[in-house]
Amino acid sequence: MIFTKLYAAAETNTWGSVGKAKEKGFFDFEFITWMAWTWQTAAFFIFIACCLIAMTIWEKKKPGGSPRKGILGLDTTRGDRLFVSLLSAAYIHLGWLGLIGPMLWIATIISFIFAFFVFRYV
Amino acid sequence: MNKTVNQKAWFFVIPVFVLVAFNAIIPLMTVVNYAFQETFGNNVFMWEGTRWFKQILLSERFHAALGRQILFTLIILFIQIPLGIFIALTMPKEGIGVSVCLVLMSMPLLIPWNVVGAMWNIFALPDIGFLGHSLNALGFDYNFTQQSGDAWFTTVLMDVWHWTSLVVLLSYAGLRSIQPAYYQAAEIDGASRWSVFRHIELPKMKKVLTIAILLRFMDSFMIYTEPFVLTGGGPGNATAFLSIDLVKMALGQFDLGPAAAMSLIYFFIVLTVCWVFYNLMMKNEGQS
Repeated sequence: MIFTKLYAAAETNTWGSVGKAKEKGFFDFEFITWMAWTWQTAAFFIFIACCLIAMTIWEKKKPGGSPRKGILGLDTTRGDRLFVSLLSAAYIHLGWLGLIGPMLWIATIISFIFAFFVFRYV
Repeated sequence: MNKTVNQKAWFFVIPVFVLVAFNAIIPLMTVVNYAFQETFGNNVFMWEGTRWFKQILLSERFHAALGRQILFTLIILFIQIPLGIFIALTMPKEGIGVSVCLVLMSMPLLIPWNVVGAMWNIFALPDIGFLGHSLNALGFDYNFTQQSGDAWFTTVLMDVWHWTSLVVLLSYAGLRSIQPAYYQAAEIDGASRWSVFRHIELPKMKKVLTIAILLRFMDSFMIYTEPFVLTGGGPGNATAFLSIDLVKMALGQFDLGPAAAMSLIYFFIVLTVCWVFYNLMMKNEGQS
């Protein structure tokens, strides 16, 4: 019921356009409008995909995943370090939002610095 | 002999990949998309940025639900793990008793979760249920539909009834894998029952217990069906654990944005705990 009527892509919507049907453009992918893509979230997932591709290329160039025992006393490979970096980035962003609030891009910078140290030492 | 490199085997992975894409990756991406937008249905979405995350992180309701969830998980872990080990230790080691015990132990695990909830709901009803009626007849003022303490007691009791057997079965498997030579050596040394447990049985059960704790943690942390059928999260919000609260927000109030933000935070917590346990298990593997 709710999701049967199809409207235009999400990015063009503002509060003023609530409830108004839009003309269907050439690039309206009706079958995925329910996924509510925005360019920001798409950019995020493209970034994740790029990370995975980069890791694959890295693994091709230097196979084995460079395992080592890091400062946490854990045996980690490159993949583990990427996982830890991404998960920490999530927590850094959430912590920033919850404790500080504005200027979230600083949290992003902190996350990248943190990821660098994770890849270097963990 | 030179092996030819053949990557065609990757095609066999495609079905699994498609399956995972449809039941995990695409829904998860959608949740991420929803977490940044407001919607009133009809596929109309308005960009809200990080507003929902901020709202959830600062919301009393989320803190309360998370607190209840952690408390519940800790309570059932502290009951089920020791109780499970204890039952496994007292189970017979040979003879017909083994099969009887194993079958009896598996019974609760085979019952669908909503049936468990319904069973316990009727069992605990204060006027007609066996448990509720008996408790009231004994002079306890018991009513799980109205008193939050009783609701907690019933929910915990139900979970212990349902899932302790899993810990028992895992611990029992761990105990059976210990060579008799260890016990013989302990007997020669004149070790007490406690030191046999502390220095032989417990270390040997470490691997299975890690898995048992992980499974029990995850299942109880994501518990939904049983308390939903038993108490529906009530009375009030007394037993509204994270999943119940999440569904209330997403489907009850149709607040898809905040619910999506909440599920992502929930997801990160679960992911972190999984990662910690995974590393613990890998350490155990490395030691043996």
